[in-house]
Amino acid sequence: MNIALLSIVIMLAIGSLMIKKSVPAIISFILMMFVLGLFYIHLDAKMLGLFQIFIYTGGIMVLMLFGVTIVGLEFPKFKTKPLNALGSLLFFVLISTLFLRSADTLQKVATSKVEDINLFSAFYSDYLLIFALIASSLLYATVKMSSVLKQKRSK
Amino acid sequence: MFETEMLFAFGLFSLGLYGVSSKRDFLRLFFSLEILLNAVILMLGITAHYLGMTQNIVLAYMVMILATLEAALGLLIFAAANKIAKVVTPDELQGEAHE
Repeated sequence: MNIALLSIVIMLAIGSLMIKKSVPAIISFILMMFVLGLFYIHLDAKMLGLFQIFIYTGGIMVLMLFGVTIVGLEFPKFKTKPLNALGSLLFFVLISTLFLRSADTLQKVATSKVEDINLFSAFYSDYLLIFALIASSLLYATVKMSSVLKQKRSK
Repeated sequence: MFETEMLFAFGLFSLGLYGVSSKRDFLRLFFSLEILLNAVILMLGITAHYLGMTQNIVLAYMVMILATLEAALGLLIFAAANKIAKVVTPDELQGEAHE
């Protein structure tokens, strides 16, 4: 059941990236997120699944339909880039190999008992610098984008 | 089972990576970004279920909220760029920025 659901997810994801018309692509994308929600419910993470279906999928659907009003019913034509496909395939092979080599260790570490977990100090303080870097780069991108648009508007 | 499902999540992530690196129109760029973040949420959900790392569910909610905010903000910027410069792809926007 799990494998069947995940296979449908992969097929719908490919469909959402490959379909040339925008509305069927959005429907494929929304269905992908819906099936993912069903998968979470099947995994016993019911709250996460319901959150995925009702809030995440619903919100994204509205936003994407708003995007269609700008792009139009057909996506602009594009050149397929086989080098990028090869790169992402290589990434998949690399990450899968690394994961399969260390899967046993991961399971052992994850199931070992940790005393007194303080959620925030245990999981977020180590990544504080990375979070700060991401936040500052996002801020830079937003400021840069607004300045570009301002220049364009003044022309 | 755990390994197979994680491989599916990696596949989804690679698919999103391909979409982002292809740099087509903005809407598909958002699709790809959402697929990337959905793959991350999937990995968190699978590890929470099979390895008992229930704290990953909290992280999954955080990533979900981040993904929604990213889509909203991105579409807002896209709408503004489209209104001002009539651009539909990131390459066109880059061209406008260099002019």
